[in-house]
Amino acid sequence: MIKIEASIQTSKLEAVKDALHEIGVEGMTVLEVRGHGRQKGHTEFYRGREYTVDLIPKIKLETVLPDAIVEKAVQAIATAARTGKIGDGKIFLSQVDEAIRIRNDERGEGAL
Amino acid sequence: MSTAVLSSELRDLYLEESDRIQQAFASTGDGRSALEQRTRLVESILQKLWHEIISPEEHGPSGFALVALGGFGRGWLFPHSDIDILFLHANSDAEPTYRDSIRRFSQELWDLRMKVSPTTRTLTECDRFDGANVEFTVSLLDSRYLLGDRELFDRLHDKVIPKLVMREAQSLVQSLAEVTRSRHAKYGNTVFHLEPNVKDGPGGLRDYNVACWLALISAMDKLRDWPEARTLFPVSTRKQLDSALEFLMSVRCFLHLRQGRDDNLLLWESQDDAAGRRIGTPDSEITDTAGWMRTYFGQARSVYRVCEQLLEEIPAAWSSLYRQFQHWRSRLSNADFSVVDGLIYLQQPNSLHDPEMLLRTFHFMATHGLRLSTTTEYRIEQVLPSLAATPPRGAELWLYLGEILTQPYAADALRAMHALKLLTLLLPELKAIDALVVRDFYHRFTVDEHSFVAIECLHRLRQSEAEWDQRYAELFSELERPELLYLALLLHDVGKGTPNTNHVDASLQAAESCMERLDLDPSERETVVFLIGSHLEISSTLRRDIFEPETVRVFAEKMETPERLKMLTLLTYADIKAVNPDALTPWKAENVFQLYIAAFNYLNHSVDERLRADTEDDHLAQIRALIPTAGRKLKTFLEGLPKRYLAAYSATDVLAHVEMAGRLGKDPVQLLLERGRHWFELTLVTHDRPFLFASVAGVLAGWGMNIVKANAFSNQAGIVVDTFYFTDRFRTLELNLQEWERFKRSIIGVLLGESDLDRMLRERLRAEKPGATKVKVDTKIDFDDSCSTRSTLVQVIAQDRLGLLHSIASCLAHQKCNIEIALIDTEGQMAIDVFYLTANGAKLTSEQQGRVKTALLETLRADVDFKIR
Repeated sequence: MIKIEASIQTSKLEAVKDALHEIGVEGMTVLEVRGHGRQKGHTEFYRGREYTVDLIPKIKLETVLPDAIVEKAVQAIATAARTGKIGDGKIFLSQVDEAIRIRNDERGEGAL
Repeated sequence: MSTAVLSSELRDLYLEESDRIQQAFASTGDGRSALEQRTRLVESILQKLWHEIISPEEHGPSGFALVALGGFGRGWLFPHSDIDILFLHANSDAEPTYRDSIRRFSQELWDLRMKVSPTTRTLTECDRFDGANVEFTVSLLDSRYLLGDRELFDRLHDKVIPKLVMREAQSLVQSLAEVTRSRHAKYGNTVFHLEPNVKDGPGGLRDYNVACWLALISAMDKLRDWPEARTLFPVSTRKQLDSALEFLMSVRCFLHLRQGRDDNLLLWESQDDAAGRRIGTPDSEITDTAGWMRTYFGQARSVYRVCEQLLEEIPAAWSSLYRQFQHWRSRLSNADFSVVDGLIYLQQPNSLHDPEMLLRTFHFMATHGLRLSTTTEYRIEQVLPSLAATPPRGAELWLYLGEILTQPYAADALRAMHALKLLTLLLPELKAIDALVVRDFYHRFTVDEHSFVAIECLHRLRQSEAEWDQRYAELFSELERPELLYLALLLHDVGKGTPNTNHVDASLQAAESCMERLDLDPSERETVVFLIGSHLEISSTLRRDIFEPETVRVFAEKMETPERLKMLTLLTYADIKAVNPDALTPWKAENVFQLYIAAFNYLNHSVDERLRADTEDDHLAQIRALIPTAGRKLKTFLEGLPKRYLAAYSATDVLAHVEMAGRLGKDPVQLLLERGRHWFELTLVTHDRPFLFASVAGVLAGWGMNIVKANAFSNQAGIVVDTFYFTDRFRTLELNLQEWERFKRSIIGVLLGESDLDRMLRERLRAEKPGATKVKVDTKIDFDDSCSTRSTLVQVIAQDRLGLLHSIASCLAHQKCNIEIALIDTEGQMAIDVFYLTANGAKLTSEQQGRVKTALLETLRADVDFKIR
């Protein structure tokens, strides 16, 4: 099992969700986050004061998937979230040792 | 009989009877009867066990009794509620004798799967008040004799409890009030939840009990004995409470039986089921869920109202601070109203026949955050039928409603008007959302309550210490017409009451009819229609990339003016916040604000895009329709004016400007002076010339007027339209109508070179005492060459003072700069002036910019020096 964590543009959430549903990924957790990579911040002047957004709003999406469909999911996320510009985000993968469904104690991939 | 045999007999009896009660309820839906039957069933089981385990005698043993408390004491046992019983000893000596029997007795009941909560106390222990366990003392108020020593129970009931209540009335009431208030706060202090809790939610059964306990304690305190139950409330209140109790009993009983446990949440599926089975409403025609829920909210609202009134009437003797507060509030009394303990009473009980007085009552409430006394509510209810024949309407109603909406406690006043059915009498469009449940994963409140909460959110911005609230509060303080924003919030979701339609369209339709009723003027209507029609615009834009200039451009162009942008930003903020307490995350608040700033900057930096009078545009079409005869004149006038001009003025204003321009041949300076709600408005139409803007700003300063805002626009033919918004610091114009003409003549005199502006200004400055500087604002001058194709933008930020605009504009004129557009704004003591400048018809070169900057800095410094001298 692999955990996918993807930070994406807020505007791309719907497209990424649809793309994941299409390949059969049903469960995911979505978080409202702020951060920056190389894109850094954004400065506006408002009423004579500098207004800097050094952490840009992003969406973080998490899901744990069976190994077999991870690559397909990564492709789906990347394709749907890509605009080709700085700030498109990143995808991280990590190994997950165990999954447990709290309701019935089911374990392993069956619990996903 | 052996205990084992008895246990099995009792188990059979309990199961059979419970089943029978459940079936009877399924066929009749009669909650009270089910609860009473269940109470009797439990009593009969207790009796059998008592005889078997404790004493074979009817009223034995002596010095020991079994007492029912809480809901069991009241005689209404819900199918899965706890059964509270008290083992009462005359004194502690006998306690050890019965310890084992009590254990066996309780064990038997638990084995029957009855949820029994037993307590053992001596008479003396019952008399002790424990602040940490107020519940026990309160539960004694519902105590009822079951078995054992009758005389012992009578001592508890007739002597101990009345004495205890008299002694501890204040602490009891205070604790009850505290617990109740914090419970209400947990539920957002409102009855109107989409999925309410019928026991603990505001207006639920717990509130019914609290109301009864408070009334009982207060009556016992006065009578020094148990009062008669029917005398606790006035007849009309009693009737309302009885009806609500019957209804709530049936609903909670239904929920317990449906869920098979002590579950009091009225979830959507249960609502459908209850409505279909007419639970609590056997005689009504209602079968749809929305209608049934309306009945629920109506009943809960009356319980909540009584409970809140009693909480409010609690004697103010607890803390000196509270006493002082109440005393201070009673000073609010005036010729119309008296205020006692935070409640409003009428000085002239018959005065409510005048609808104006009725509206003033709610205005008073909205201003001071007071509640209506029961008698005042009663009087209002009495006059409503006669009012219904000819309800107030038109500008007069709007005047009051607008005023109510802008007062700090507007939401509470609206809720009170709504509860009394006055609000829907005045604005029948709101009936569609009265207690309306719209199922949605995120919303917590009914549609009407959501609108009130949204209005409340904006009013609370001012007191909030949260970072985002403060930033939005600043934005709010800049609004010119907050009442229009509030009206839009009140009406924005009315369309949700029209099924199977787009709710925004339906809301717009309802708003049109409402505004017709209130006789709003066309520009006010346009604003409200814009706000309601666009109330989802920001949320949908946030789903795009708001750091993308194209997204910002498209969004900003829909907003048209900074004022509308501000209003919509605030509306969106309040609308999201009123969905549920967690809906507006800091993340979302920041995104909304970010979009606001980007769009605001876009609007201010793209204002000089020129208008072509033959382009097709909704606004232009509207103006043409209004002035069909103007044709060519209109076309010539509009040609070359910036697009921002059209956004800044209504069609009626444009018509006036065209007419003024037409009269220029006769009189070269055309002036229009009007008095608005917040300030005076002076519009000037004339041919452009050097020092024009500076001269008018100078005359206004010479008269001591404080310029708050100004616009200046010019068309291709060199005709300018300048509008100055100013406050009349010395009330010269306000108090002397004849001064209006002299004021206008002095402007014309200066513009035609007949009067001496410098002298006028010198005299004024001599007469002025230097004002105190509260906030020091550093002068800041920025140029921007990129935001316009034809002119250079300069933004001047400086300490606001008399004559500032005149100084800046004169300096620009001396530097041979032509002001194409001026956008003047003031925020507290900070003046924020934006000018679009050209020199010889072109942008300013960098050398020119340098010279202008130096000159402006010198002028502003010299001004300060002059002032200090």
